[in-house]
Amino acid sequence: MNKMARMKKEKKTPWQRFCAWVNGDAPEKALLPAEPPKPKKKKEVKPQKKKAAAPKKEWMGLTRFEHIYRVCAVFIGVIIVAVLMITVVQLPLFGSPDNPAENEVVERYVEDGLEETGAVNMVAGMILDYRAFDTFGESSVLFLAVTCVTMLLMRDRNNTDKDEDLLTAREHIVEGHEEDIILLQIAKLIIPCVLVYGIYVVLNGHLSPGGGFSGGTIMGSALILFAVSFGMIRMSRFFNYSTFRKITSSALMVYAASKAYSFFTGANHLESHIPLGTPGAILSSGLILVLDICVGIVVACTMYGFYALFTKGEL
Amino acid sequence: MRLALELILPILLIICALAVTFSKRLLVSVVIFTSFSLVMSVIWVLLESPDLAITEAAVGAGVSGLLLVYTLKKIHALKGTSDE
Amino acid sequence: MENVRIVAGMVLVGLGLFVYVVSVFGLFRFQYVLNRMHAAALGDTLGILFVLLGLILLTGWGFHALRMGLIIAFLWLASPVSSHLLAKAEFVTFKHIKSECEVVEK
Repeated sequence: MNKMARMKKEKKTPWQRFCAWVNGDAPEKALLPAEPPKPKKKKEVKPQKKKAAAPKKEWMGLTRFEHIYRVCAVFIGVIIVAVLMITVVQLPLFGSPDNPAENEVVERYVEDGLEETGAVNMVAGMILDYRAFDTFGESSVLFLAVTCVTMLLMRDRNNTDKDEDLLTAREHIVEGHEEDIILLQIAKLIIPCVLVYGIYVVLNGHLSPGGGFSGGTIMGSALILFAVSFGMIRMSRFFNYSTFRKITSSALMVYAASKAYSFFTGANHLESHIPLGTPGAILSSGLILVLDICVGIVVACTMYGFYALFTKGEL
Repeated sequence: MRLALELILPILLIICALAVTFSKRLLVSVVIFTSFSLVMSVIWVLLESPDLAITEAAVGAGVSGLLLVYTLKKIHALKGTSDE
Repeated sequence: MENVRIVAGMVLVGLGLFVYVVSVFGLFRFQYVLNRMHAAALGDTLGILFVLLGLILLTGWGFHALRMGLIIAFLWLASPVSSHLLAKAEFVTFKHIKSECEVVEK
């Protein structure tokens, strides 16, 4: 009883109500003690009935607060939209010559980009040569994300219970038996095409739109399709956690080493002795091809790693 | 023609964004979110950045929808199944 | 000849759009899942075929036409398989399927 009274007092503060409301559990439910004795139970049933009969009267404060909260939410949303709209109206026109963004940096990229990087696709030249350090950070962030997901969702001896084990065992059995013949044949036909297209997008990143990120995602979706249609067991024959670790970290290390060499020699292509080649050929533009391949491998492995960890909890 | 597209696509984008927030079921929200990404990738093509369009179509409409659906399954939030 | 080609392309695109409209109406009018999937598959196969054939005629023969042909081929490979899998999932998970359609026992 004491506890109940105390908790009721606490509940009266708006902050507690707000917390309960945000947490999604009704305050009544939060009040229920873990092991209620019989006399208490009767008393608890009564307020619940009252609440069911006239919920608005009992929780007038809460409903009013909710009301104000909704009005405030709409109001703040409208204000933010209005501020953003006013900002958009006052932005300079798309492509106008006196934009503040069109300074000597953009001029340098557009005019000398082809000579200095050797990449026909200017975007690839920018993100993988001038701004290669940013791209290294991005692929490291992907690697970090998949590492965190591994820590959270990886299933090992410490964080499994019997129900989950039974469930996974059943899923494995179902996977082994219920193979759909139509899906298997079409997957055999489609997966190589998707993989080849992804490799094309990665390798052609400095000549046409595409590059490491998009091509890597396409390859990753091909791997996901393989895992969906043929089952995780066959997938793990050639791609398991250790190969994932080796491939991803070695790709990141190759990226870091090649860019470090480029920085060490002055970052201006003069003393690095890497031939730029003729623009337009596949083997051109110096380090961009290598960096594209590294980013593509990291992204493909990351995409498949996310999928495998989210579905089965193992890689 | 191009002007009409430039008018229609942002309106579609806004409708998709509102529908994502107002739909009751989470699975419907995920499906509308993937369609949002699809419209966005068409807009990227119109803005002459095909690199972003490819990435948006592959990541937004393909992989992230899949991951979100699996997240819903993981937290037992798919309505109408035995998981709920 | 040039005019004939353009007119034929536009007619094909219009036909494809008509098929799409029909499929969207079916998608919203039908009640049961398999009926709605039937309506959606109409637009996925016939509609996309008409629209892309019309676009091939409009752009003329060349590399773009080859690409659009590849799009048709891959969509025709992928989309019926996905509808087949969806229907199979519905068949496996829905308990009262016999009240909605005829079921042939194996």
